[in-house]
Amino acid sequence: MTAGDYQMLLDGAWTTIWISLLAIGGGVPLGLVLSLIRVSRFPVLSQIVVLYVSLGRATPLLTLALFLFVTLPVFGVNIDKYTAGVLALTLNTASFNTEVWRSAYQSFPQSQIEAARATGMTRALYFRRIMLPQMWYASLPSLVNEMTLLVKASPAIAVIGVVDLTRVTNRIAAQTYEPLPPILVAGAMYMLFISVLVRLQRHLEKRAERYAT
Amino acid sequence: MRMLKIIRAAQPSRLFFAVFITFALTSLAGEAASLKKIKARGYLNIATEDNYAPFEIMKGGKASGFTNDVVAELKKYADFKIRQDILPWSGLLASVRAGKYDCAITGSIISEERLRVFDFTMPTASAQHYYITRKGDDRIKGVKDLNGLTVGVQAGSVLLSRLPELDAMLKKTGGKLGKVVEYTSYPEVYEDLANGRLDYAINAIVSAQNLISKRGDTFALGEPVSGFGFHAYPVPKGNEDLLVYLNGFITHLYKSGKLAELQKKWFGRAFPDLPRQSIKSVKEFKKLTKAQ
Repeated sequence: MTAGDYQMLLDGAWTTIWISLLAIGGGVPLGLVLSLIRVSRFPVLSQIVVLYVSLGRATPLLTLALFLFVTLPVFGVNIDKYTAGVLALTLNTASFNTEVWRSAYQSFPQSQIEAARATGMTRALYFRRIMLPQMWYASLPSLVNEMTLLVKASPAIAVIGVVDLTRVTNRIAAQTYEPLPPILVAGAMYMLFISVLVRLQRHLEKRAERYAT
Repeated sequence: MRMLKIIRAAQPSRLFFAVFITFALTSLAGEAASLKKIKARGYLNIATEDNYAPFEIMKGGKASGFTNDVVAELKKYADFKIRQDILPWSGLLASVRAGKYDCAITGSIISEERLRVFDFTMPTASAQHYYITRKGDDRIKGVKDLNGLTVGVQAGSVLLSRLPELDAMLKKTGGKLGKVVEYTSYPEVYEDLANGRLDYAINAIVSAQNLISKRGDTFALGEPVSGFGFHAYPVPKGNEDLLVYLNGFITHLYKSGKLAELQKKWFGRAFPDLPRQSIKSVKEFKKLTKAQ
C-alpha cells in the first residue's frame, strides 16, 4: 500500500469516529428520555415509544439508512448523506439504549425512593440527585457494550455513500487486487478505537463509583 | 440485478428491507427530472461509483478512472452544472431508480433485468465476458477445456446470468458447465482462484484486462465465453429527453476522437465497433449481443 492509501485509511477512520461519536452523543440521552416516557405510562406517548423500540430493534441499519436517504426527499426533507447516516445510527442505537435505561430504572430499589420522599425531596430532585447517578452506574457496561456494537455496525451506512473505514478498504482493494493488507490495517484501527471506548468506560465507572457508593 | 446484493446484505430481516425498498421505489419512481427541468434548475444530478477499476477508482482520495474523465468532458459539454455523488454499487441503482439522481454515469453493464427499469445510452465500452485462469495452468488451453471445471462469478451479476451461453458453447464440444460458485465481489473471486479453490473465473473484458495488468504474475486472460456485452449509462425509463441528450454527448466524444483516446488511456485499447444507438428493450439487446 502507498502513503496515499494510508492517508485514505486515516480519513476513513476519522469519518467512522466522528459519525459514531455523534450517534453515541445523541443516542444515549435520547434513550434516557424515551425510557422515561415509557416508564411514565403516559397514554399514547408511552405506546409510541414501545412501537419505536420494537421497530428500531427489528430494522437492519442498512435498511434504515437507505430508507432515510431515499425516502425523506419525497416528503420535502432534503437530507444529505452524512445527516442521514448519523440519524440512522442514532435512531438505531437509541432504541437499544432505551431498554438499557428502562431496566436500570425498573430495578432501582424502592426503599431509596421512599427514604428520599420521607425527607421531603420532590420527584425531580430525587431523580436527579439519587436515581440518575446510580442508574448511570448500573447502565454503563451495557451502554458501552452498545457503543462498541454501534461502531462495528457503522459500515452499513456506506450504502448511501458515506466513506467510512471499511469502505476505504474496498476502494483500495479494488485497485490493488490485494484485499488483505488494507483490511488488516482497518481491523487494527477499529480495535484501537474500541479499546479507547472501553478505557473510557473503566474511567467513568471509577468516577461513578465514588458517587454511587 | 446487482441490486439483489443489498437485499442479501440485510440478512437479519430481509422482509423489512424488501417492504421498505418496495415502498420507497414505488412511491418515488418517475421523480427524476426531465431535461427541461434540469436546464431550468441549472444542474444534472449524477451518481458514480468508486471501486470499479478502471472505470471508477480513488487515487489518494481523488476520484479517477475512465468514467471520471468522461464526467470531466460532460462538464465542458453541458450548459448546466453537473452534481456528482459517489455511491457504492449496492445502493447506486436503487437510488437512481428512486429519482435521487437523474442518471448513473458509471461502468454498469446492460442486462435484461436492468432493461426492465432503465434505458441505456450508447455503450462506451465492450463488456464481452472472458475467462481468467491461474498463470501456468496447463489444463486450460481453450474454451472447451473448461468442461466440468469450477468457476467463480459475482452473485447477482450479468456475468452470472449469462453463464448459459458458456454452457451452450461447451455442449457443442460434448462438455458441460461445471460447479458455479458465487461471491459478493471480485476481489474474493480472484483470491480463491489464486489459492486453487476455483479453476477459473469469468469477468467482462475491461475488468479482466485491468486485473492482468496489475497481477499478470498470478493470472492469465483466456477467450470469450459470451456474446457481445456493453458498458453503458442507465437512465430511468421515461426520461427520453435526457437519454437523447447523453447520446448526443457520446456522439460528440466519438467525433472529437476523445472517446477513443480515453478508451486507450484506461482500457489499453479502443472499441470502435460498439453500437451507436441507445438500448431500450430486451429485444434490441438480444439482437446486438448475439454470439458470432
